[in-house]
Amino acid sequence: MKSLDPRVNRLPEIDIENSVSRKDPLDQLGTYEVFVQPKEGKPFQHEGALHASDREMAFVLAKESFTRRFQCISLFVVRTTNVFVSDTTEDSESVYDRIKGDVDKGGNQQSYEIFNLYKRGKQHVHIGSVSASSPELAMAAAKNKLPPSKTVYNIWTVKTSDIRFTQPDEMDLWNTLPDKKFRDASDYKGGDKLKEFLERSK
Amino acid sequence: MSDALKELIYKIADDQFILGHRNSEWTGFGPMLEEDIAFSSMAQDKIGHSFALYTMLRELGEQDPDTVAFTRNANQFHNCIFVELPNGEYDFSLVRHFLFDTAEALRFEMLLNSSYEPLALLAKKIRGELRYHTIHANTFLKKLGSGTEESISRLQKSLDYSLPYAMGMFEPSPYESELISEGIFGGEEKLREQWTKKLRK
Repeated sequence: MKSLDPRVNRLPEIDIENSVSRKDPLDQLGTYEVFVQPKEGKPFQHEGALHASDREMAFVLAKESFTRRFQCISLFVVRTTNVFVSDTTEDSESVYDRIKGDVDKGGNQQSYEIFNLYKRGKQHVHIGSVSASSPELAMAAAKNKLPPSKTVYNIWTVKTSDIRFTQPDEMDLWNTLPDKKFRDASDYKGGDKLKEFLERSK
Repeated sequence: MSDALKELIYKIADDQFILGHRNSEWTGFGPMLEEDIAFSSMAQDKIGHSFALYTMLRELGEQDPDTVAFTRNANQFHNCIFVELPNGEYDFSLVRHFLFDTAEALRFEMLLNSSYEPLALLAKKIRGELRYHTIHANTFLKKLGSGTEESISRLQKSLDYSLPYAMGMFEPSPYESELISEGIFGGEEKLREQWTKKLRK
């Protein structure tokens, strides 16, 4: 019988024959990294990752998964495997000290975006773009062109052409975000009720 | 003029209100977490739009938004049947979202030039939200419409089922000619033409 609840209809069928078979592979989608710009003049920073079937869908889903609260004026997404990651260092050692300032001898020059991590456990922050012929050389170029003022513990670089940016005609997607305070916990004042409850339970 | 205006606002508000609730039934049951969040957010947007419209009605002498939204009898609602249909499977909800939000975006595009200023201002304000809704709907329709045999046939089946109901979105108001001549709204017929043209693309 077909149930009115689609979740019940999705349950696996009961097997009749007695057989052992391989487990079906999971149809898991790939992941994409999401970068958000909270305000005009602030840099983009890494916000998290999500599952999506392609870059366009990743962009669409990222908008509500990562920017449905607080502040945002723009975002971009890139496939996780298109992010190149440097070594990670700690204490006073900057990871840029390990990067040789190799001179990029031509090759196919492409634009790369550079992201620095200034504090372990925090997010990578976008610091600018460089032109280079490989991710390694992009980091070397960043060492010369975008010297950091603080210790950097980890670098990410992404080819600019691998990124799905917010298009100019999509900039109004976040227009009404400041009105959506009802999505923040801070919009619900429970302090008085809590105090009253604590008084009563004394 | 006031009756014509109220009728129009009630119609738009009730469509959004009912479909917002229908779509919110997917919260927690969406096909994947990311889509669950996106679809729920858009459902919330719809309730937000209906709230703004019910607030507009309050200015025109109707009761307060909560009373209007939650205490009317079924026969006092002005929505089309399309938005009330039970959800069933996700493919239907997605197709309904696509058909409805394409029309909704066009409707508010027309209302940008409404002679009734509050409607024109609201249309301007929610433009970005509606743009997101249509980007979302188009992306999913394109992806699933060129996916597997199952995804294509499911979409087609839902589309065949939805289209006759979708025509109900464009039911003309009893005050249609007044709304058009007063410059409040360009009319359901014009909207349906634009919508059909858009879908063909």
